[in-house]
Amino acid sequence: MSDFLASVERRAFKQAVYALHDEEAALDVVQDAMLRLAEKYSARPPEELPLLFQRILQNAIRDHFRRSKVRSTWTTLLSALGLGGDDDEADPLETLEVREPSNVPASPAERLEQGQVMAAIEEALQGLPDRQREAFMLRYWEELDVSETAKVMGCSEGSVKTHCSRAVHALAKVLKSKGITL
Amino acid sequence: MNEREFGQKAKPWLDRAASQVGDLQATRLKAARLRALDAYQEPVRIFGLVTVSGGTAQWLRYSVLQPALLVLPILALVAALAVQSPNPEVELGEIDALLLTQELPPDAFLDKEFREWLAKQG
Repeated sequence: MSDFLASVERRAFKQAVYALHDEEAALDVVQDAMLRLAEKYSARPPEELPLLFQRILQNAIRDHFRRSKVRSTWTTLLSALGLGGDDDEADPLETLEVREPSNVPASPAERLEQGQVMAAIEEALQGLPDRQREAFMLRYWEELDVSETAKVMGCSEGSVKTHCSRAVHALAKVLKSKGITL
Repeated sequence: MNEREFGQKAKPWLDRAASQVGDLQATRLKAARLRALDAYQEPVRIFGLVTVSGGTAQWLRYSVLQPALLVLPILALVAALAVQSPNPEVELGEIDALLLTQELPPDAFLDKEFREWLAKQG
């Protein structure tokens, strides 16, 4: 369990960041998902853990969306009534900071270029509709097959294929417009 | 480039992005993992056959097995009594036979004044 969690925690965090656009919320979501997996599915065979974890993670992300939607509804309502405080806590979209790469490229120019490509990919991913991004990440990053992805997303295999296809075309279009080819 | 190729080419970039998570986030993720592992329960085997998650095992153990262990002796006792209890018809038959083979008539056992009458007769 420890090894499995260590192997997925960063990817899970990035997935949550791409979905939520908020690192704090993403950390909370990943922590909840790991906790739930450890508490409830400890006896499952190791080969089942990736699928279970993805299911829990995606549900946690959706729950977070739902909760923040309810919260924002109430905030809007209260502020419309003049009762709400002026809390500007949630204003994300600040995830494209320059990071120190662990595998340093040969030259600063290469390093810069890689950083730009990575930033462009991340930005394009964040711009995708939720279901398209979810399908793309599960299929091509987590390498789940179509039926596994459908199980995690709670939709048909046909929907998964449609979401993936649209996601790939949208990503390719955005990257092409920036002069990036993978 | 087809869809699959695009996905395969995007993967290393995503892996790289994940590997470059900031130190603060990495530390917090590690803390979250350790917290999750604190809550981790070793799989429990029941009767050496069923392996269930810690939570389910706890539920089975405390909600099903323990009451079952309490009820089991009572059920065993009831079953034993049911098996051993004499057939009422057989018992009555035996009593009848005993009464009929006695010298005294069966009424002697029912009539309280019979002894007095017998003494007077004697």
